[in-house]
Amino acid sequence: MIRFEGVLKAYGSLEVVKKLDLHVLEGEFLVLIGPSGCGKTTTLKMINRLIEPTSGKILVNGQNIMEMNPVTLRRKIGYVIQQIGLFPNMTIMDNVDLVPRLLGWDREKRINRVYELLELVGMDPEVYANRYPNELSGGQQQRIGVLRALAAGPSIILMDEPFGALDPITRENLQDELKNLQSKLNKTIVFVTHDMDEAMKLADRIAIMKDGEIIQLGSPESILRNPSDDFVLEFIGKHRVNSCELEKVESIMKTNPVTTDPDRKGTEMLALMKRKGVNTVLVVKNDKQLIGVVTIEKLDNKQNLTYKAEYLADTGLPVITAGSPAREAFDLLVSQKLEYLPVVDQNRGLLGLVTRTSMVNALASVVWGEEELS
Amino acid sequence: MSAVFSIALEHLWLSVAGVFLACVIGVPMGIVILKIRVLAGPVMGVIDILQTIPSLAMLALVMFFFGLGNMSLITALFIYALLPVVRNTFIGLTGVKSELLEAGKGMGMTGWQLLWQVQLPIALPVILAGFRVAVVTSIGIATIGTLIGAGGLGEPIWRGIQLVNTPMILSGAVPAALLAIIADYSLGLLEKSVVSRGLQVKNTN
Ligand SMILES: Nc1ncnc2c1ncn2[C@@H]1O[C@H](COP(=O)(O)OP(=O)(O)O)[C@@H](O)[C@H]1O
Ligand SMILES: [Mg+2]
Repeated sequence: MIRFEGVLKAYGSLEVVKKLDLHVLEGEFLVLIGPSGCGKTTTLKMINRLIEPTSGKILVNGQNIMEMNPVTLRRKIGYVIQQIGLFPNMTIMDNVDLVPRLLGWDREKRINRVYELLELVGMDPEVYANRYPNELSGGQQQRIGVLRALAAGPSIILMDEPFGALDPITRENLQDELKNLQSKLNKTIVFVTHDMDEAMKLADRIAIMKDGEIIQLGSPESILRNPSDDFVLEFIGKHRVNSCELEKVESIMKTNPVTTDPDRKGTEMLALMKRKGVNTVLVVKNDKQLIGVVTIEKLDNKQNLTYKAEYLADTGLPVITAGSPAREAFDLLVSQKLEYLPVVDQNRGLLGLVTRTSMVNALASVVWGEEELS
Repeated sequence: MSAVFSIALEHLWLSVAGVFLACVIGVPMGIVILKIRVLAGPVMGVIDILQTIPSLAMLALVMFFFGLGNMSLITALFIYALLPVVRNTFIGLTGVKSELLEAGKGMGMTGWQLLWQVQLPIALPVILAGFRVAVVTSIGIATIGTLIGAGGLGEPIWRGIQLVNTPMILSGAVPAALLAIIADYSLGLLEKSVVSRGLQVKNTN
């Protein structure tokens, strides 16, 4: 999609980007990260020719951008900057449909597009289309900044620290929204930040830059697992300690949950629960395949006691697939207020159970270290 | 009374004509020195010097080229109005935040599109403020136009002074003052109506 081939940018004798080779894949969310002054913005701006390389080639969709008209090129690439840069003299409508207007779309199509986009981020077009930027909060303004970049439907979006100036809560919201948008729209995004949290959250791949060079390129996980040198190690510092994020759900699950086969009656299950001191049993078929769960509340009913487990089982409970990060189990437990979460394999074969207790133990080991975990 | 009214109208016409010419030439000049930045210093310098010439001296100099009459007055007013018009155009345009230019350029606006759709609309309040100053100043200066044979409210004032006739002085001075006040006020209204609401409303957050 975007290919840098030996791209060099120098100001006088100062090489700010050194012989860069990078291939940004189609539909990929690539984050450029590194300390201030390492050449991130320069790299980004060379893609839409706001800065021109001293030597080397940049190809977009296989075409050398130096052979394209810069204005045409830029209209095909969305651009979002940290300072937002909405035009204060234009309404939200006019700001968002700027590129479609430059491209000569007809009016009706433009209005429809703006309405569609505003709805996409939950801003009522009737309320906001005719407002001016200074009537919006910072977070709302940058939402519009992102919509403006999306308006003409470019397949590539460049973002230079777009959320850097927002307060932390707004920033998180916009990150979530962007991630959500990306999963719907599948753009190729090059995103500059110096915030590792942000990179971890958003990136498909992260390129870590230092002094004009990419020193490591890979998925967030692979960078955390195998930092290439001390610089990277230091840069990702706190994320490495937070190894919980890397752990698979299997490592924190209990492997011997109380189970029953589908033929067992309610009375028998009640006895089983008493004996084992639990208030739920998992119903499994053929010793393995998870059907559902029966809770003790379900058995607090004379009639239900005579039914088989098969009919009593609640089959709609959320499960998590082995191999998922433990983090996901944690999010599910918290967000859905679950007491437990069965871990299954690809064929819904029961492997174990993550409970709130096992989660707390896992967290404790992160916070206080392994040795204290009994 | 109607005589005073027609003289006042003539006075207004003369003042505005000079300023209008200054706008026609001065706004493009402001744009040119924005685009060709090396010219900004010299151009502003020359205009500044012109501005320091005392008005009587200016009239005399202009008269040297254009003779007696309205033409000389309009030319002098034009020269005086040039400073606020050119300077405010230049200041207004350079005051547009660089991130707006970067955003616009990055989205594929051409230089002219940026100028017309972003820079000039944003600079407009400042340009209009310059225009307003120029009009009010011109109305004042135009009262000495009578010394080089131009029309306007200067005539009753100067004649009144020579004849020590206070009512006659007032019949020129009062309308001239009113004219300046009314012009200032209406240009304020004009500014409100032509400047984008987005540049006027206060941030409500
Ligand atoms: N126009 C310029 N002239 C000289 N040096 C520049 C210019 N623009 C950027 N630089 C230098 O290039 C380096 C990289 O800048 P930049 O890409 O903006 O860094 P980052 O975005 O990673 O903070 C910095 O050291 C900066 O000072
Ligand atoms: Mg930067």
